[in-house]
Amino acid sequence: MLDTLLWWLTSPFDYAFMRRALVAALALSLSAPILGVFLTLRGMSLMGEALSHAILPGVAVAFMLAGFSLPLMMTGGVLAGLVTVALAGGVTQFSGLKEDAAMASLFLVAMAAGVLIVSLSGNALDLGHVLFGTILTVDSRTLMLVAVASSAIVLGVAIAFRALVMECLDPQFLTLQGRHAGWTHALFMMMVVLSLVVSFQTLGTLMAAGLMLLPAAAARYWSQRLEGMIAIAVGLALISSVVGLLVSYHAGLPSGPAIILLAGLGYGASVLLGTHSGLLLPYVRAKSAVAPGHAKLRQ
Amino acid sequence: MPVEQSSRLELRDLQLAQANRTVLEHVNGRFRDGAITALVGANGAGKSTLIQGIMGMLRPVAGKVVCAVPKERRAWLPQQLALDLTFPMSVEELVMTGSWPSHGALTGYCARHYRRGREVMARLGISHLAHRPLGELSGGQRQRALIGRTLMQEAELLLLDEPFANVDVETVEVLMTVLQQMAADGATIIVVLHDMEQLARLADEVVILNHGHAQWTTAREIVHSRPTAAESARLALGIPGVGA
Repeated sequence: MLDTLLWWLTSPFDYAFMRRALVAALALSLSAPILGVFLTLRGMSLMGEALSHAILPGVAVAFMLAGFSLPLMMTGGVLAGLVTVALAGGVTQFSGLKEDAAMASLFLVAMAAGVLIVSLSGNALDLGHVLFGTILTVDSRTLMLVAVASSAIVLGVAIAFRALVMECLDPQFLTLQGRHAGWTHALFMMMVVLSLVVSFQTLGTLMAAGLMLLPAAAARYWSQRLEGMIAIAVGLALISSVVGLLVSYHAGLPSGPAIILLAGLGYGASVLLGTHSGLLLPYVRAKSAVAPGHAKLRQ
Repeated sequence: MPVEQSSRLELRDLQLAQANRTVLEHVNGRFRDGAITALVGANGAGKSTLIQGIMGMLRPVAGKVVCAVPKERRAWLPQQLALDLTFPMSVEELVMTGSWPSHGALTGYCARHYRRGREVMARLGISHLAHRPLGELSGGQRQRALIGRTLMQEAELLLLDEPFANVDVETVEVLMTVLQQMAADGATIIVVLHDMEQLARLADEVVILNHGHAQWTTAREIVHSRPTAAESARLALGIPGVGA
Protein backbone atom coordinates (compact mmCIF):
# COMPACT_ATOMS: atom_id res chain seq x y z
CA MET A 1 0.00 0.00 0.00
CA LEU A 2 2.74 2.41 1.05
CA ASP A 3 4.80 1.33 -1.92
CA THR A 4 1.90 2.04 -4.26
CA LEU A 5 1.41 5.48 -2.75
CA LEU A 6 5.12 6.20 -3.02
CA TRP A 7 5.10 5.05 -6.63
CA TRP A 8 2.04 7.22 -7.35
CA LEU A 9 3.74 10.22 -5.83
CA THR A 10 7.22 9.86 -7.29
CA SER A 11 7.12 7.89 -10.52
CA PRO A 12 5.94 10.80 -12.72
CA PHE A 13 9.02 12.74 -11.74
CA ASP A 14 11.33 10.15 -13.24
CA TYR A 15 10.77 12.13 -16.42
CA ALA A 16 12.66 15.39 -16.89
CA PHE A 17 9.66 17.17 -18.46
CA MET A 18 7.59 16.39 -15.35
CA ARG A 19 10.34 17.65 -13.06
CA ARG A 20 10.54 20.90 -15.05
CA ALA A 21 6.75 21.23 -15.00
CA LEU A 22 6.79 20.68 -11.23
CA VAL A 23 9.42 23.35 -10.62
CA ALA A 24 7.59 25.83 -12.90
CA ALA A 25 4.28 25.20 -11.14
CA LEU A 26 5.87 25.51 -7.70
CA ALA A 27 7.61 28.78 -8.67
CA LEU A 28 4.30 30.21 -9.88
CA SER A 29 2.54 28.96 -6.75
CA LEU A 30 5.02 30.81 -4.56
CA SER A 31 4.48 34.19 -6.22
CA ALA A 32 1.10 34.46 -7.99
CA PRO A 33 -1.19 33.86 -4.97
CA ILE A 34 0.52 36.69 -3.04
CA LEU A 35 -0.55 39.11 -5.75
CA GLY A 36 -3.94 37.39 -5.80
CA VAL A 37 -4.45 38.14 -2.10
CA PHE A 38 -3.86 41.85 -2.72
CA LEU A 39 -6.11 41.77 -5.81
CA THR A 40 -8.98 40.18 -3.86
CA LEU A 41 -8.50 42.63 -0.98
CA ARG A 42 -8.78 45.52 -3.43
CA GLY A 43 -11.89 44.01 -4.99
CA MET A 44 -9.94 43.69 -8.24
CA SER A 45 -10.17 39.95 -8.86
CA LEU A 46 -11.94 40.42 -12.16
CA MET A 47 -9.29 42.94 -13.13
CA GLY A 48 -6.67 40.20 -12.78
CA GLU A 49 -8.75 37.90 -14.95
CA ALA A 50 -9.26 40.66 -17.53
CA LEU A 51 -5.54 41.39 -17.60
CA SER A 52 -4.72 37.76 -18.31
CA HIS A 53 -6.66 38.14 -21.57
CA ALA A 54 -5.31 41.62 -22.29
CA ILE A 55 -1.76 40.29 -22.69
CA LEU A 56 -2.81 38.06 -25.59
CA PRO A 57 -2.30 40.49 -28.53
CA GLY A 58 1.25 41.28 -27.41
CA VAL A 59 2.07 37.60 -27.09
CA ALA A 60 0.46 36.84 -30.43
CA VAL A 61 2.34 39.58 -32.28
CA ALA A 62 5.62 38.37 -30.78
CA PHE A 63 4.72 34.82 -31.79
CA MET A 64 3.96 35.98 -35.32
CA LEU A 65 7.25 37.84 -35.63
CA ALA A 66 9.64 35.39 -34.00
CA GLY A 67 7.87 32.08 -33.56
CA PHE A 68 7.89 30.48 -30.12
CA SER A 69 10.40 32.78 -28.45
CA LEU A 70 9.49 33.09 -24.82
CA PRO A 71 11.47 36.26 -24.04
CA LEU A 72 9.84 38.06 -26.96
CA MET A 73 6.39 36.69 -26.10
CA MET A 74 6.90 37.84 -22.53
CA THR A 75 7.98 41.30 -23.67
CA GLY A 76 4.96 41.51 -25.97
CA GLY A 77 2.65 40.35 -23.21
CA VAL A 78 4.03 42.81 -20.67
CA LEU A 79 3.74 45.66 -23.18
CA ALA A 80 0.16 44.72 -24.16
CA GLY A 81 -0.83 44.36 -20.48
CA LEU A 82 0.71 47.67 -19.53
CA VAL A 83 -0.85 49.46 -22.52
CA THR A 84 -4.26 48.04 -21.56
CA VAL A 85 -3.83 49.10 -17.92
CA ALA A 86 -2.68 52.57 -18.98
CA LEU A 87 -5.57 52.92 -21.46
CA ALA A 88 -8.10 51.76 -18.87
CA GLY A 89 -6.61 54.20 -16.33
CA GLY A 90 -6.68 57.02 -18.89
CA VAL A 91 -10.27 56.34 -19.96
CA THR A 92 -11.27 56.21 -16.28
CA GLN A 93 -9.49 59.42 -15.38
CA PHE A 94 -10.59 61.51 -18.34
CA SER A 95 -14.08 60.20 -19.09
CA GLY A 96 -15.26 59.20 -15.61
CA LEU A 97 -16.09 55.63 -16.70
CA LYS A 98 -15.41 53.20 -13.87
CA GLU A 99 -12.13 51.31 -14.18
CA ASP A 100 -13.75 47.87 -14.26
CA ALA A 101 -16.00 48.86 -17.18
CA ALA A 102 -13.09 50.39 -19.08
CA MET A 103 -10.98 47.33 -18.41
CA ALA A 104 -13.73 44.88 -19.42
CA SER A 105 -14.26 46.68 -22.72
CA LEU A 106 -10.56 46.81 -23.51
CA PHE A 107 -9.82 43.22 -22.57
CA LEU A 108 -12.61 41.92 -24.80
CA VAL A 109 -11.15 43.82 -27.73
CA ALA A 110 -7.63 42.65 -26.81
CA MET A 111 -8.72 39.03 -26.49
CA ALA A 112 -10.48 39.07 -29.86
CA ALA A 113 -7.49 40.76 -31.51
CA GLY A 114 -5.12 38.21 -29.96
CA VAL A 115 -7.11 35.20 -31.11
CA LEU A 116 -7.40 36.71 -34.60
CA ILE A 117 -3.65 37.31 -34.83
CA VAL A 118 -2.82 33.78 -33.67
CA SER A 119 -5.37 32.29 -36.09
CA LEU A 120 -3.93 34.25 -39.00
CA SER A 121 -0.38 33.34 -38.21
CA GLY A 122 -0.52 29.75 -37.07
CA ASN A 123 -2.74 26.73 -36.82
CA ALA A 124 -5.24 25.26 -34.39
CA LEU A 125 -2.43 23.73 -32.34
CA ASP A 126 -0.84 27.18 -31.77
CA LEU A 127 -4.16 28.63 -30.71
CA GLY A 128 -4.68 25.76 -28.27
CA HIS A 129 -1.21 26.34 -26.91
CA VAL A 130 -1.88 30.04 -26.40
CA LEU A 131 -5.30 29.55 -24.85
CA PHE A 132 -4.60 26.61 -22.57
CA GLY A 133 -0.83 26.56 -22.05
CA THR A 134 1.46 23.58 -22.10
CA ILE A 135 3.17 23.16 -18.79
CA LEU A 136 4.64 19.82 -19.86
CA THR A 137 6.68 21.43 -22.64
CA VAL A 138 8.49 23.91 -20.39
CA ASP A 139 12.18 23.83 -21.29
CA SER A 140 15.12 24.79 -19.08
CA ARG A 141 15.31 28.32 -20.48
CA THR A 142 11.62 28.95 -19.89
CA LEU A 143 11.96 27.46 -16.43
CA MET A 144 14.73 29.89 -15.63
CA LEU A 145 12.57 32.81 -16.78
CA VAL A 146 9.63 31.62 -14.69
CA ALA A 147 11.89 31.24 -11.65
CA VAL A 148 13.52 34.65 -12.10
CA ALA A 149 10.16 36.39 -12.64
CA SER A 150 8.61 34.66 -9.60
CA SER A 151 11.60 35.59 -7.44
CA ALA A 152 11.41 39.19 -8.65
CA ILE A 153 7.71 39.32 -7.76
CA VAL A 154 8.26 37.92 -4.25
CA LEU A 155 11.11 40.38 -3.72
CA GLY A 156 9.06 43.27 -5.14
CA VAL A 157 6.14 42.51 -2.82
CA ALA A 158 8.51 42.22 0.15
CA ILE A 159 10.06 45.62 -0.57
CA ALA A 160 6.75 47.37 -1.29
CA PHE A 161 4.75 45.42 1.31
CA ARG A 162 3.96 48.29 3.64
CA ALA A 163 3.10 50.64 0.79
CA LEU A 164 0.86 47.96 -0.77
CA VAL A 165 -0.91 47.41 2.54
CA MET A 166 -1.44 51.12 3.07
CA GLU A 167 -2.57 51.65 -0.51
CA CYS A 168 -5.32 49.09 0.10
CA LEU A 169 -6.29 50.35 3.55
CA ASP A 170 -5.85 54.11 3.41
CA PRO A 171 -4.26 55.57 0.23
CA GLN A 172 -4.44 59.10 1.62
CA PHE A 173 -2.03 58.13 4.39
CA LEU A 174 0.53 57.28 1.68
CA THR A 175 -0.14 60.50 -0.19
CA LEU A 176 0.33 62.57 2.94
CA GLN A 177 3.76 61.02 3.40
CA GLY A 178 4.72 62.20 -0.08
CA ARG A 179 4.59 58.68 -1.50
CA HIS A 180 2.13 58.88 -4.33
CA ALA A 181 -0.33 56.00 -4.10
CA GLY A 182 -0.46 55.92 -7.92
CA TRP A 183 3.14 54.70 -8.12
CA THR A 184 2.45 51.88 -5.70
CA HIS A 185 -0.59 50.93 -7.77
CA ALA A 186 1.46 51.03 -10.98
CA LEU A 187 4.21 48.86 -9.48
CA PHE A 188 1.61 46.39 -8.26
CA MET A 189 -0.12 46.18 -11.64
CA MET A 190 3.26 45.65 -13.34
CA MET A 191 3.93 42.71 -11.05
CA VAL A 192 0.47 41.32 -11.84
CA VAL A 193 1.13 41.58 -15.58
CA LEU A 194 4.55 39.93 -15.21
CA SER A 195 3.05 37.11 -13.19
CA LEU A 196 0.29 36.58 -15.77
CA VAL A 197 2.76 36.51 -18.63
CA VAL A 198 4.89 33.81 -17.01
CA SER A 199 1.75 31.87 -16.03
CA PHE A 200 0.58 32.18 -19.62
CA GLN A 201 3.25 29.74 -20.85
CA THR A 202 2.24 27.08 -18.36
CA LEU A 203 -1.49 27.54 -17.91
CA GLY A 204 -2.54 29.49 -21.01
CA THR A 205 -4.29 32.81 -21.27
CA LEU A 206 -7.64 31.35 -20.24
CA MET A 207 -6.36 30.00 -16.94
CA ALA A 208 -3.33 32.12 -16.10
CA ALA A 209 -5.27 34.05 -13.47
CA GLY A 210 -6.57 30.84 -11.87
CA LEU A 211 -3.52 30.08 -9.76
CA MET A 212 -3.41 33.72 -8.75
CA LEU A 213 -7.03 34.23 -7.74
CA LEU A 214 -8.57 30.93 -6.63
CA PRO A 215 -6.19 30.21 -3.71
CA ALA A 216 -6.37 33.87 -2.68
CA ALA A 217 -10.17 33.85 -2.67
CA ALA A 218 -10.15 30.59 -0.68
CA ALA A 219 -7.70 31.97 1.91
CA ARG A 220 -10.19 34.65 3.01
CA TYR A 221 -12.32 31.86 4.49
CA TRP A 222 -9.50 30.64 6.72
CA SER A 223 -7.72 33.70 8.08
CA GLN A 224 -8.41 37.27 9.05
CA ARG A 225 -4.76 38.22 9.04
CA LEU A 226 -2.94 39.29 5.91
CA GLU A 227 0.11 37.14 6.60
CA GLY A 228 -2.15 34.17 7.34
CA MET A 229 -4.08 34.71 4.12
CA ILE A 230 -0.88 34.86 2.08
CA ALA A 231 0.51 31.69 3.72
CA ILE A 232 -2.74 29.78 3.17
CA ALA A 233 -3.09 30.96 -0.44
CA VAL A 234 0.49 29.95 -1.26
CA GLY A 235 0.02 26.60 0.52
CA LEU A 236 -3.18 25.88 -1.40
CA ALA A 237 -1.54 26.81 -4.70
CA LEU A 238 1.43 24.54 -3.97
CA ILE A 239 -0.85 21.60 -3.12
CA SER A 240 -3.01 22.23 -6.22
CA SER A 241 0.07 22.34 -8.43
CA VAL A 242 1.67 19.14 -7.11
CA VAL A 243 -1.55 17.11 -6.89
CA GLY A 244 -2.80 18.56 -10.20
CA LEU A 245 0.34 17.43 -11.99
CA LEU A 246 0.16 13.97 -10.39
CA VAL A 247 -3.50 13.51 -11.25
CA SER A 248 -2.99 14.75 -14.79
CA TYR A 249 -0.10 12.31 -15.28
CA HIS A 250 -1.85 9.24 -13.89
CA ALA A 251 -5.30 9.97 -15.34
CA GLY A 252 -4.02 11.26 -18.66
CA LEU A 253 -5.66 14.67 -18.23
CA PRO A 254 -4.38 18.06 -19.43
CA SER A 255 -2.16 19.48 -16.67
CA GLY A 256 -3.24 23.15 -16.64
CA PRO A 257 -6.95 22.50 -16.18
CA ALA A 258 -6.19 19.78 -13.61
CA ILE A 259 -4.20 22.26 -11.49
CA ILE A 260 -6.84 24.99 -11.75
CA LEU A 261 -9.70 22.57 -11.06
CA LEU A 262 -7.94 21.39 -7.91
CA ALA A 263 -7.49 25.00 -6.82
CA GLY A 264 -11.22 25.41 -7.56
CA LEU A 265 -11.95 22.37 -5.41
CA GLY A 266 -9.95 24.01 -2.61
CA TYR A 267 -11.98 27.18 -3.09
CA GLY A 268 -15.27 25.25 -2.96
CA ALA A 269 -14.20 23.44 0.20
CA SER A 270 -13.19 26.74 1.77
CA VAL A 271 -16.54 28.37 0.96
CA LEU A 272 -18.27 25.48 2.73
CA LEU A 273 -15.91 24.68 5.59
CA GLY A 274 -13.88 27.87 6.13
CA THR A 275 -13.51 29.03 9.71
CA HIS A 276 -14.42 32.60 8.73
CA SER A 277 -17.82 32.96 7.05
CA GLY A 278 -17.82 29.34 5.82
CA LEU A 279 -21.37 28.35 4.82
CA LEU A 280 -21.44 25.33 7.10
CA LEU A 281 -19.91 27.19 10.04
CA PRO A 282 -23.24 28.15 11.70
CA TYR A 283 -24.32 24.48 11.69
CA VAL A 284 -21.01 23.33 13.18
CA ARG A 285 -21.25 26.03 15.87
CA ALA A 286 -24.86 25.17 16.66
CA LYS A 287 -23.93 21.52 17.02
CA SER A 288 -21.00 22.24 19.31
CA ALA A 289 -23.18 24.61 21.39
CA VAL A 290 -25.81 21.89 21.85
CA ALA A 291 -23.31 19.18 22.68
CA PRO A 292 -22.46 20.32 26.28
CA GLY A 293 -26.18 20.42 27.11
CA HIS A 294 -26.54 16.82 26.01
CA ALA A 295 -23.56 15.92 28.13
CA LYS A 296 -25.16 17.60 31.15
CA LEU A 297 -28.46 15.78 30.60
CA ARG A 298 -26.67 12.47 30.50
CA GLN A 299 -24.99 13.24 33.82
CA MET B 1 -5.51 86.16 14.14
CA PRO B 2 -2.46 86.26 16.41
CA VAL B 3 0.30 86.55 13.80
CA GLU B 4 3.00 87.12 16.39
CA GLN B 5 2.69 83.56 17.70
CA SER B 6 4.66 80.69 16.16
CA SER B 7 3.11 78.90 13.25
CA ARG B 8 4.40 76.12 11.03
CA LEU B 9 1.43 76.14 8.68
CA GLU B 10 0.48 79.20 6.70
CA LEU B 11 -1.88 79.81 3.78
CA ARG B 12 -0.87 82.61 1.44
CA ASP B 13 -3.54 83.97 -0.89
CA LEU B 14 -4.61 80.40 -1.54
CA GLN B 15 -7.04 79.58 -4.32
CA LEU B 16 -8.35 76.03 -4.66
CA ALA B 17 -10.59 74.51 -7.32
CA GLN B 18 -12.40 71.23 -7.86
CA ALA B 19 -13.25 70.15 -11.42
CA ASN B 20 -12.27 73.60 -12.75
CA ARG B 21 -14.67 75.32 -10.34
CA THR B 22 -13.12 77.67 -7.80
CA VAL B 23 -14.12 76.52 -4.32
CA LEU B 24 -11.97 78.81 -2.19
CA GLU B 25 -10.04 81.98 -3.02
CA HIS B 26 -7.87 84.58 -1.33
CA VAL B 27 -7.44 82.42 1.74
CA ASN B 28 -4.79 83.91 4.02
CA GLY B 29 -3.96 82.86 7.51
CA ARG B 30 -1.77 80.96 9.92
CA PHE B 31 -2.61 77.95 12.02
CA ARG B 32 -1.09 78.51 15.44
CA ASP B 33 1.24 75.86 16.88
CA GLY B 34 -0.23 74.17 19.92
CA ALA B 35 -3.75 75.28 19.04
CA ILE B 36 -6.81 73.38 17.90
CA THR B 37 -8.42 75.11 14.93
CA ALA B 38 -11.95 74.14 14.01
CA LEU B 39 -12.90 74.24 10.35
CA VAL B 40 -16.59 74.96 9.95
CA GLY B 41 -18.89 75.57 7.05
CA ALA B 42 -21.98 74.28 5.34
CA ASN B 43 -21.82 71.24 3.11
CA GLY B 44 -19.96 72.18 -0.06
CA ALA B 45 -18.31 75.20 1.57
CA GLY B 46 -14.87 73.77 0.88
CA LYS B 47 -13.79 72.10 4.14
CA SER B 48 -12.58 68.91 2.49
CA THR B 49 -11.08 70.93 -0.37
CA LEU B 50 -9.07 73.02 2.07
CA ILE B 51 -7.88 69.89 3.89
CA GLN B 52 -6.82 68.35 0.57
CA GLY B 53 -4.99 71.56 -0.27
CA ILE B 54 -3.17 71.58 3.06
CA MET B 55 -2.32 67.89 2.66
CA GLY B 56 -0.82 68.54 -0.76
CA MET B 57 -3.36 66.32 -2.49
CA LEU B 58 -4.81 69.26 -4.42
CA ARG B 59 -2.56 71.64 -6.30
CA PRO B 60 -3.47 75.30 -5.64
CA VAL B 61 -4.71 77.35 -8.59
CA ALA B 62 -2.98 80.33 -7.03
CA GLY B 63 -1.15 81.16 -3.83
CA LYS B 64 0.49 78.50 -1.70
CA VAL B 65 0.51 76.43 1.45
CA VAL B 66 3.67 76.92 3.48
CA CYS B 67 4.21 74.03 5.87
CA ALA B 68 7.31 73.62 8.00
CA VAL B 69 6.20 70.31 9.52
CA PRO B 70 8.16 67.37 8.04
CA LYS B 71 6.04 64.95 6.03
CA GLU B 72 6.54 62.04 8.40
CA ARG B 73 5.04 64.14 11.21
CA ARG B 74 1.89 65.06 9.26
CA ALA B 75 -1.09 62.90 10.07
CA TRP B 76 -4.52 62.61 8.60
CA LEU B 77 -7.57 61.11 10.21
CA PRO B 78 -9.97 60.40 7.36
CA GLN B 79 -13.69 60.07 7.64
CA GLN B 80 -14.27 56.45 8.63
CA LEU B 81 -15.90 55.68 5.31
CA ALA B 82 -12.61 56.35 3.54
CA LEU B 83 -11.09 53.23 5.09
CA ASP B 84 -11.43 49.69 3.79
CA LEU B 85 -12.84 48.12 6.91
CA THR B 86 -12.71 44.61 5.49
CA PHE B 87 -8.93 44.75 5.32
CA PRO B 88 -7.46 41.96 7.45
CA MET B 89 -5.65 44.02 10.05
CA SER B 90 -5.83 44.10 13.84
CA VAL B 91 -6.04 47.18 16.03
CA GLU B 92 -2.44 46.77 17.16
CA GLU B 93 -1.25 46.44 13.56
CA LEU B 94 -3.14 49.59 12.56
CA VAL B 95 -1.69 51.55 15.47
CA MET B 96 1.82 50.32 14.64
CA THR B 97 1.51 51.59 11.04
CA GLY B 98 1.91 55.06 12.54
CA SER B 99 5.61 54.30 12.93
CA TRP B 100 6.09 53.49 9.23
CA PRO B 101 6.71 57.05 7.95
CA SER B 102 9.68 57.62 10.24
CA HIS B 103 10.72 54.00 10.58
CA GLY B 104 11.07 53.12 6.90
CA ALA B 105 9.63 50.51 4.62
CA LEU B 106 11.90 47.58 5.36
CA THR B 107 12.89 47.75 9.02
CA GLY B 108 11.03 45.50 11.41
CA TYR B 109 9.57 46.65 14.71
CA CYS B 110 11.73 46.46 17.81
CA ALA B 111 10.71 46.18 21.49
CA ARG B 112 10.61 49.98 21.79
CA HIS B 113 7.94 50.23 19.08
CA TYR B 114 5.77 47.53 20.63
CA ARG B 115 6.11 49.18 24.05
CA ARG B 116 5.08 52.52 22.60
CA GLY B 117 2.18 50.87 20.75
CA ARG B 118 0.93 49.34 24.00
CA GLU B 119 1.23 52.70 25.78
CA VAL B 120 -0.79 54.39 23.03
CA MET B 121 -3.53 51.74 23.15
CA ALA B 122 -3.68 51.98 26.95
CA ARG B 123 -4.02 55.77 26.73
CA LEU B 124 -6.98 55.36 24.40
CA GLY B 125 -8.56 52.53 26.39
CA ILE B 126 -8.30 49.98 23.60
CA SER B 127 -5.65 47.61 25.01
CA HIS B 128 -8.22 44.82 25.27
CA LEU B 129 -8.95 45.18 21.53
CA ALA B 130 -5.32 44.88 20.40
CA HIS B 131 -5.81 41.68 18.42
CA ARG B 132 -9.33 42.33 17.18
CA PRO B 133 -9.80 42.80 13.40
CA LEU B 134 -10.81 46.29 12.23
CA GLY B 135 -14.02 44.95 10.73
CA GLU B 136 -15.28 43.86 14.15
CA LEU B 137 -14.89 47.25 15.83
CA SER B 138 -17.62 49.76 16.59
CA GLY B 139 -17.34 53.24 15.09
CA GLY B 140 -15.94 54.63 18.33
CA GLN B 141 -13.39 51.86 18.79
CA ARG B 142 -12.22 52.32 15.22
CA GLN B 143 -11.83 56.05 15.71
CA ARG B 144 -9.72 55.46 18.83
CA ALA B 145 -7.52 53.06 16.86
CA LEU B 146 -7.05 55.66 14.13
CA ILE B 147 -6.13 58.33 16.66
CA GLY B 148 -3.73 55.73 18.09
CA ARG B 149 -2.00 55.64 14.72
CA THR B 150 -1.47 59.41 14.79
CA LEU B 151 -0.13 59.23 18.36
CA MET B 152 2.25 56.47 17.25
CA GLN B 153 3.35 58.76 14.44
CA GLU B 154 4.08 61.51 17.00
CA ALA B 155 2.23 63.83 14.66
CA GLU B 156 3.00 67.55 14.79
CA LEU B 157 0.31 68.46 12.26
CA LEU B 158 -2.95 66.60 12.57
CA LEU B 159 -5.95 66.98 10.24
CA LEU B 160 -9.21 65.41 11.32
CA ASP B 161 -12.34 65.21 9.18
CA GLU B 162 -15.42 64.97 11.39
CA PRO B 163 -13.73 62.78 14.01
CA PHE B 164 -16.76 62.62 16.29
CA ALA B 165 -19.30 61.53 13.69
CA ASN B 166 -20.98 58.23 14.56
CA VAL B 167 -18.94 57.62 17.71
CA ASP B 168 -20.15 57.05 21.26
CA VAL B 169 -20.08 59.72 23.98
CA GLU B 170 -17.27 58.02 25.91
CA THR B 171 -15.07 57.97 22.81
CA VAL B 172 -15.76 61.67 22.20
CA GLU B 173 -14.49 62.41 25.71
CA VAL B 174 -11.37 60.26 25.28
CA LEU B 175 -10.57 61.77 21.89
CA MET B 176 -11.08 65.34 23.09
CA THR B 177 -8.72 64.74 26.00
CA VAL B 178 -6.07 63.21 23.73
CA LEU B 179 -6.35 66.01 21.17
CA GLN B 180 -6.03 68.66 23.90
CA GLN B 181 -2.94 66.88 25.25
CA MET B 182 -1.43 66.73 21.76
CA ALA B 183 -2.07 70.45 21.31
CA ALA B 184 -0.57 71.17 24.72
CA ASP B 185 2.53 69.28 23.54
CA GLY B 186 2.80 71.71 20.62
CA ALA B 187 0.97 69.96 17.79
CA THR B 188 -1.02 71.96 15.24
CA ILE B 189 -4.48 70.44 15.00
CA ILE B 190 -7.13 71.22 12.42
CA VAL B 191 -10.49 69.60 12.86
CA VAL B 192 -13.64 69.71 10.74
CA LEU B 193 -16.60 70.09 13.10
CA HIS B 194 -20.33 70.43 12.75
CA ASP B 195 -21.33 70.44 16.41
CA MET B 196 -21.19 73.85 18.14
CA GLU B 197 -20.99 72.34 21.61
CA GLN B 198 -17.96 70.30 20.59
CA LEU B 199 -16.49 73.39 18.96
CA ALA B 200 -16.95 75.40 22.13
CA ARG B 201 -15.28 72.72 24.23
CA LEU B 202 -12.42 71.79 21.93
CA ALA B 203 -11.39 74.59 19.61
CA ASP B 204 -9.10 77.52 20.32
CA GLU B 205 -9.51 79.11 16.92
CA VAL B 206 -12.12 78.79 14.21
CA VAL B 207 -11.96 79.14 10.45
CA ILE B 208 -15.37 79.75 8.95
CA LEU B 209 -15.72 78.86 5.29
CA ASN B 210 -18.51 80.67 3.54
CA HIS B 211 -19.12 81.64 -0.08
CA GLY B 212 -15.61 80.71 -1.14
CA HIS B 213 -13.84 82.73 1.54
CA ALA B 214 -12.29 81.96 4.90
CA GLN B 215 -12.81 84.00 8.01
CA TRP B 216 -10.52 83.53 11.01
CA THR B 217 -11.92 83.98 14.49
CA THR B 218 -11.66 82.39 17.92
CA ALA B 219 -13.98 79.94 19.59
CA ARG B 220 -14.35 82.38 22.46
CA GLU B 221 -15.61 85.07 20.11
CA ILE B 222 -18.11 82.72 18.54
CA VAL B 223 -19.43 81.42 21.84
CA HIS B 224 -19.49 84.62 23.89
CA SER B 225 -19.10 87.98 22.32
CA ARG B 226 -19.30 88.96 18.72
CA PRO B 227 -22.69 88.40 17.23
CA THR B 228 -21.44 88.81 13.66
CA ALA B 229 -18.93 86.00 14.01
CA ALA B 230 -21.49 83.88 15.84
CA GLU B 231 -23.97 84.56 13.13
CA SER B 232 -21.47 83.51 10.50
CA ALA B 233 -20.75 80.30 12.32
CA ARG B 234 -24.41 79.49 12.81
CA LEU B 235 -25.02 80.18 9.18
CA ALA B 236 -22.11 77.99 8.16
CA LEU B 237 -23.08 75.18 10.48
CA GLY B 238 -26.72 75.40 9.64
CA ILE B 239 -27.78 75.38 13.31
CA PRO B 240 -30.04 77.79 15.15
CA GLY B 241 -27.91 78.93 18.09
CA VAL B 242 -25.01 78.48 20.48
CA GLY B 243 -25.41 77.15 23.97
CA ALA B 244 -22.81 79.31 25.66
